[in-house]
Amino acid sequence: MAEVVIPIGPQHPALKEPVNFRVIADGEKIIRLELNLSYTHRGIEKGAESRDFIRVLPLLERVCGICSHSHATAFAKGIEEIMQVKIPPRAQYIRTIIAELERMHSHLLWLGVAAHEIGFNTLFMWTWRDREAVQDTLEEMSGNRVHYNMNEVGGVRCDLSPSQVQTALARLPLLEERIHKYVAMLEEEETMLLRFRGIGNMTRHEALAYGAVGPTARASGVACDARHEDPYLVYAEVPWEVVTDTNGDVYGRTCVRIGELRESAKIVRYCLEHLPEGDIRVPAPKAAPTGEILSRYEAPRGELVHFIRTNGTDKAERLDIRTPTLANWTSVAVCLAGQNLADIPVIVAAIDPCLSCTSRITVLDNNKNTGGMITFDELRKRSRARWQDEERT
Amino acid sequence: MTSPLTRDVVMETMKGFGTVEQVRANRFRITTTHNRLRDAVKTVQESLACDRLVTISTADTRQTFELHYHFTGQHRMIVTVTIELSRETPELPTMSDMLLPAGIYERQIHDLFGIVFSGHPGLKKILLNEDWPDNEHPLRKDWKPDEKTFYGGTKQEGR
Amino acid sequence: MTGTTGSWSQRLANWARMKSPWITIFNSGGCNACDIEILACLIPRFDVERFGILAKGSPRHADILIVTGPATLKQASRLRRVWEQMPEPKYVIAIGACGAGGGVFHGLYHVSESVDSIIPVDVFVAGCPPRPDEVINAVVTCLGLLAEDIAHGGKEWRQKKAVEIPDTTTTGEVRV
Repeated sequence: MAEVVIPIGPQHPALKEPVNFRVIADGEKIIRLELNLSYTHRGIEKGAESRDFIRVLPLLERVCGICSHSHATAFAKGIEEIMQVKIPPRAQYIRTIIAELERMHSHLLWLGVAAHEIGFNTLFMWTWRDREAVQDTLEEMSGNRVHYNMNEVGGVRCDLSPSQVQTALARLPLLEERIHKYVAMLEEEETMLLRFRGIGNMTRHEALAYGAVGPTARASGVACDARHEDPYLVYAEVPWEVVTDTNGDVYGRTCVRIGELRESAKIVRYCLEHLPEGDIRVPAPKAAPTGEILSRYEAPRGELVHFIRTNGTDKAERLDIRTPTLANWTSVAVCLAGQNLADIPVIVAAIDPCLSCTSRITVLDNNKNTGGMITFDELRKRSRARWQDEERT
Repeated sequence: MTSPLTRDVVMETMKGFGTVEQVRANRFRITTTHNRLRDAVKTVQESLACDRLVTISTADTRQTFELHYHFTGQHRMIVTVTIELSRETPELPTMSDMLLPAGIYERQIHDLFGIVFSGHPGLKKILLNEDWPDNEHPLRKDWKPDEKTFYGGTKQEGR
Repeated sequence: MTGTTGSWSQRLANWARMKSPWITIFNSGGCNACDIEILACLIPRFDVERFGILAKGSPRHADILIVTGPATLKQASRLRRVWEQMPEPKYVIAIGACGAGGGVFHGLYHVSESVDSIIPVDVFVAGCPPRPDEVINAVVTCLGLLAEDIAHGGKEWRQKKAVEIPDTTTTGEVRV
């Protein structure tokens, strides 16, 4: 049968980001995937070379609107290590609290989007409503719901007052109860089990060979977590566990993310209860000595790597960012081969693509006989229709 | 092996490839030449138990281009293999047949620096838009946007 | 609100637009914080659907185009195409600091000058990102503009006219 190249149009109200790949399909089965990531390319790495360490942090935060604290902290801790500046314990704890709150809001967001992909809109509304509790906490602590701008080279910019700590602790029991409900849902909810099981399988060997990171890899049994492999901030002191699963499919990735929600809530509680007294910043020199560092950070989507090189001035000579979504794209291409077209929304959503870190999906159909475009919405409808047919038979 | 690598083990295994330094408590760097890159990577994967490519980083030192291949494994340490390429003819055989994730990193590096990876199955533009001129590579240190060149976007025809 | 001029069907169409504006969201290459805040408008806390606002995928069905992100060079031509596909009367809301002039990305090599240089923008919303309440406020402002445009019979009343530069060569004056 002739190969058909299918385009998925960029207009999809619920999936927010632009990415472009060409899916080469044989009927309904996908053969090959070609990727094009230029829609959100802005030239940030070049921009970072001409901004000093104060001005570059707001730019780096806006690489991604969901994992903004990740980029800023990875950079700040890299520069601090080159400068050999040790930030005070209170600053470490505050950075960790914001980092884990960010992980929670990101995973709740993902859960909602994944549920929306399979048509389970109730869960989308529930998780985003619970996410508002996390956003409120972040807003009280830092002043903004997203792009917290808490970091500076040498510490953090805002302190947490005792009343803020108490308010945050008061919100945690509700969140923990809701997370518990989502864990129970994984066992009981038929919709999720049917639509997520057996889709997008990846074995442990494949996860390692394709360089997958984050929950995508941990769902296949690879226990790689930058907080565990290369401990930074306070992860060596706080009791927490790496969450892995052996399923290797979209269901496994869901389990890993919900498990991480539970762990993050534990870490936030521990840090708030054990917040040490002291300063929140130390004076850092304006310029960094010549040096090079590979700064690794566990962003919500996986391992984020900043390769920083300094040259004695107050600007970075080279900043090379490798985002977790870029590392996971190869594994998406592999997971999708042999699967049905209708499963694209679920499998792509399962790696939790942060496309402003990467780019947009369009799947083109230039079949000479029928020519036409399929939108992401239509693919989603097809995937739900297929599931409903399967349920009937 | 899940025990951390020691300096002696790394030096012994990578003897003959080039200089070996321990740049951080958990990171080693091996500087080698571009024609020994494949063998070095193979040795790192087989004898130093590194089963995952972390990333490929690049830097422009104004005299040369540097490529850094970072690997890690169950021992939780990073082994970096560094090579330098000349700025006039930055070419290298692709590693995407040996290291599957390298395919996407090499496409990015090609767009931004102009390093040609011979044998790569599809070295098309991945990051820059389709109207971007082919011979301009923005992340090179000597690149500045030219006012007369059209880099993409809409032409200013008024509203 | 619906105007007293025009035919019965025109007044009905105006009323429908005011009561239930349909929007389409276009991400022109931003960091997505603004997109998440727009999606957060749909959730129970802000619940924009009770105002009749519906997010549609296709620009041909939409009254209001919401643009997020600084228009990257790749997205610029697509943004223009999406805007041209929308039927009149159409309104554009540019969200955030990026919409106003590139925001934190101003001057980077793959970012165009501003959203304003590609399509005409009616409402700018400040913030990085603006809160969902501010986004809803922007849509309501747009509806106010729609009402005024209906009352004035079109958009021309608020377009800037080209400035006439006085000709001083006849008097022999040289103005520096």
